[in-house]
Amino acid sequence: MRGNEATRQQRTGLALVSPALGVVALFFILPMLMSVVLAFRGKNGGLTFEHMAKALDLYQNDLLFTVAITVLSTVGIAICAILIASYLTLGGSERTRTALRWLYRWPLFIPFIVTGQVMRTFLAKNGLLNHVLIGGGLIDPGSAQSLLDWRGIVIALVWKQVPFVTLLLAGAMASVDSQHIEAARNLGARRWQVLVDIVLPQVRGTLLVGLVLSFVTMLSVLSVPMMINPNSPTLITVDIAYRINTHGDYAVANALCLLSLLLAAGGAALYLRHAVAKAVPAA
Amino acid sequence: MTTARLGRVDLLPMVTRGFFLALIAFVIFGPLANLVLWAFAERWYFPNKLPNEYGLSFWYRVFQPRGNALASLGTSVWIAVLTVLFSLAVAVPAGYALARLRLPWRAGILLLFLLPQAVPNMPVYVNIARVFYTIGLNGTVAGVVLVHAAHGLVLAVWIASAAFAAVDASLEEASRNLGASPWTCFRTVTLPLAAPGLIASAIFVFLESLDEFTGTYFVGVPDVTTLPLLMFNASMGGNYQIASITALLLLVPSIAFMLVVERFLKPEVLAMVGR
Amino acid sequence: MNRFKLFPALAMAALAALPYGHAQAQTTLNVATAGDQNMVDYVNNYLAPRFEKMNPGVKVRAVGTGPGDAGSQKIYEKLSAQQKAGTTAWDIDVAVIHQRGAATMVGEKLLMPYRSQVNVDKLVTRDTATNALGANVDGYVLPMFHSQIAFAYNPEVVKAPPKSFAELAEWVKKNPKQFGYNGVKGGMSGVGFVMGWVSANAGIGEKLEKGPYDPGQKAAIEKSLGSLKEFNQYVVMTPGNAGTLDMLNRGEIAMGPVWVDMFYTWQADGKLNPKVKLSLPSPGLPGQPMYYVIPAKAANAQLAKKFVELAESPEVQAEGIVKQFNWYPGIDPQHVQSKLDAASWNKLFTDISPSDLARYGRPFPLSEYFTDIVEGYERVVLK
Repeated sequence: MRGNEATRQQRTGLALVSPALGVVALFFILPMLMSVVLAFRGKNGGLTFEHMAKALDLYQNDLLFTVAITVLSTVGIAICAILIASYLTLGGSERTRTALRWLYRWPLFIPFIVTGQVMRTFLAKNGLLNHVLIGGGLIDPGSAQSLLDWRGIVIALVWKQVPFVTLLLAGAMASVDSQHIEAARNLGARRWQVLVDIVLPQVRGTLLVGLVLSFVTMLSVLSVPMMINPNSPTLITVDIAYRINTHGDYAVANALCLLSLLLAAGGAALYLRHAVAKAVPAA
Repeated sequence: MTTARLGRVDLLPMVTRGFFLALIAFVIFGPLANLVLWAFAERWYFPNKLPNEYGLSFWYRVFQPRGNALASLGTSVWIAVLTVLFSLAVAVPAGYALARLRLPWRAGILLLFLLPQAVPNMPVYVNIARVFYTIGLNGTVAGVVLVHAAHGLVLAVWIASAAFAAVDASLEEASRNLGASPWTCFRTVTLPLAAPGLIASAIFVFLESLDEFTGTYFVGVPDVTTLPLLMFNASMGGNYQIASITALLLLVPSIAFMLVVERFLKPEVLAMVGR
Repeated sequence: MNRFKLFPALAMAALAALPYGHAQAQTTLNVATAGDQNMVDYVNNYLAPRFEKMNPGVKVRAVGTGPGDAGSQKIYEKLSAQQKAGTTAWDIDVAVIHQRGAATMVGEKLLMPYRSQVNVDKLVTRDTATNALGANVDGYVLPMFHSQIAFAYNPEVVKAPPKSFAELAEWVKKNPKQFGYNGVKGGMSGVGFVMGWVSANAGIGEKLEKGPYDPGQKAAIEKSLGSLKEFNQYVVMTPGNAGTLDMLNRGEIAMGPVWVDMFYTWQADGKLNPKVKLSLPSPGLPGQPMYYVIPAKAANAQLAKKFVELAESPEVQAEGIVKQFNWYPGIDPQHVQSKLDAASWNKLFTDISPSDLARYGRPFPLSEYFTDIVEGYERVVLK
């Protein structure tokens, strides 16, 4: 009986999932496989690893750089999002919370390409940021420097992605049972203790999901590194565009895509562990 | 700094709070100020720290009758709305199944939806264009909507699944015990309760669609052109004024949509995302 | 929210599947333009109204595909996709592309040999109208305008710009971080600078341009790239073609290689100090034309030919290309000069004299050398 019920549920479930899965399969995964095979096809049509070898040979530095930048940005996003979301949930001043809630969201509406463009003119040596810092007497004109290297890429990615993760995280934090929090407060716990001991453990899942989504998105963003620093070392997406646009070389470009996908899989593996733990829904 | 802010925040004078808010405001609005300045800069070059001259001549250029900026904006919004509707239509059953039913390879399925976000997509869109030319979908709004939907579906499905998971199962049971059919139960109990989460996912799908230009180019151009395409070309070429103006124009539908949707955003739904 | 509400949504999506502009009775001529927004503006504001007036019932629709070779590549992808899909009427009627794109597209039979069928054929004799990086494109292309890479410099900082690459190498040592270029991944002005460097320092300039290709030259190429690596210690790397102009605009660098047409656009758009000047060093920097091409199965091929005829006519080249946009003409100069007042003509040569342009304006190297140099740069300079 139970076995039958389980099979029936599985069948219904798959039927319900199939339209959405079909869209992704037909309009992304299939065309993706069509291009991935090119990475392993030699001149005479046979299997070859020469493109993969070339990709690794020329772009291993950029691969490492990509890992470093995306991991660093993810950490930055996590810190900023936790700070903002926890103030929105636990902060003392109602007015400050309202102001913060209104403030933090704006970058959500700015596309990546525009983020790249404004950061290029904002973070430059003679950009608006340094003008303000010099004008405010915070740094002297001689020590003004350009941030348009790895720092600029990290700043742009963090600036753009923090609101997304914060939006999810603040929602999750707001739904943490307020009785737990009050009880802890009554026992004399400080706000940061409440945050670390009670709130964060309960929203870990949401934070992880937001970060995984951000991580994979950042891996596939071309416009930000293109605008801020397309020179070596740079993100792997720049190399992919360069192989295609300058060399018309889809084989190496696809090999790089595949390597980039492996990096994403690394991030997703974290999520997978979390999701498997919850494989059987509470219902 | 964290501990100080969170731990003794009531003891800190308002000045400190004001300082941190001002700092955050600067971080957020500094770059945006740059955007606005460029949108109105007629001339701006070294050694001037601010534009030498302000004006609207680039606005005239963007809005010149042949430039089709408004028509492109209209198309962009129309495509974004259709993408949201289509994504929700397929994400609702999928989200329900992922939240409520025992599915084999559940984690694997969730991950498949993530793929379009994770892969640099230019080579993929080239192949899609080839297929769409064969079946006549190229140059149609429907084709562009399908491509945008495939890209944004992860947000719709993951959030829809969360929304259904957040619905109290005992309410459904009560309805079934009163004799409601599964369909009636879904329609009258589950769906209304999950609706806020579904609508929340709409804002992300909407923004994704409004940002997208690579897929639009390969599948839509020249018959379907959107404002982000113009923004991309202008931005890559360093036409800061035109890129800034188009970016400001795109803010209008984004923020309008956010304001509409915000009324439906409920924290407890967001809390369940991806679980 | 009711589930039934989703069905109207699907119905709307289905409705939207109808081709856009289905009801239009008139013909639309689709012009796809690689390159900067101002080229799209040129087609839209200058050519289109004239062409529509001459051909009632025709509407010209210009689409930009993005700057640089990436823009040409995107046009190539569109045409290639339609070729592979077996489409009979392609959706691009006229395209404006770069040399590398033209070489690829001719090679893959994506273009129509239309040149002999338009009456402006005789107005063009320059070598680049038949040869694109060593590929024979004779008959398939007509140049829209010529562009040239040159050094842009701020005369307040750089009193006397270096006259050669050797002088430049000395100059950067005395003025570290004042020269900037965009490497090889950020666009063709940087690639062109690297080509110029190799031509100047490997001593095989002639071979690179004229061929035949000899893989044995790799050693000489890599040796000259070794000296470029040292040179790079004294310079700033800029983010892209526009990035070099951007840094000049903010006074962060005093000199860098730029496309002349972009340079004038930036000045016209108020993004570059009008005092900034151009100079062309010896033994030269590459330039290239933008080509008008007609796809092999363009839906409106006849109209497309008429469009190119208009665009290549001496009047349009004089008035539109030279006078309004300050681009070097695509057709032979004598046909254009006679249609213009001396002042407008001379404005083209304010900074770079016609003789310097003739001597130091070089073509890009052959395609095989081009690849060797760019990949050599990646191995020698970047790794």
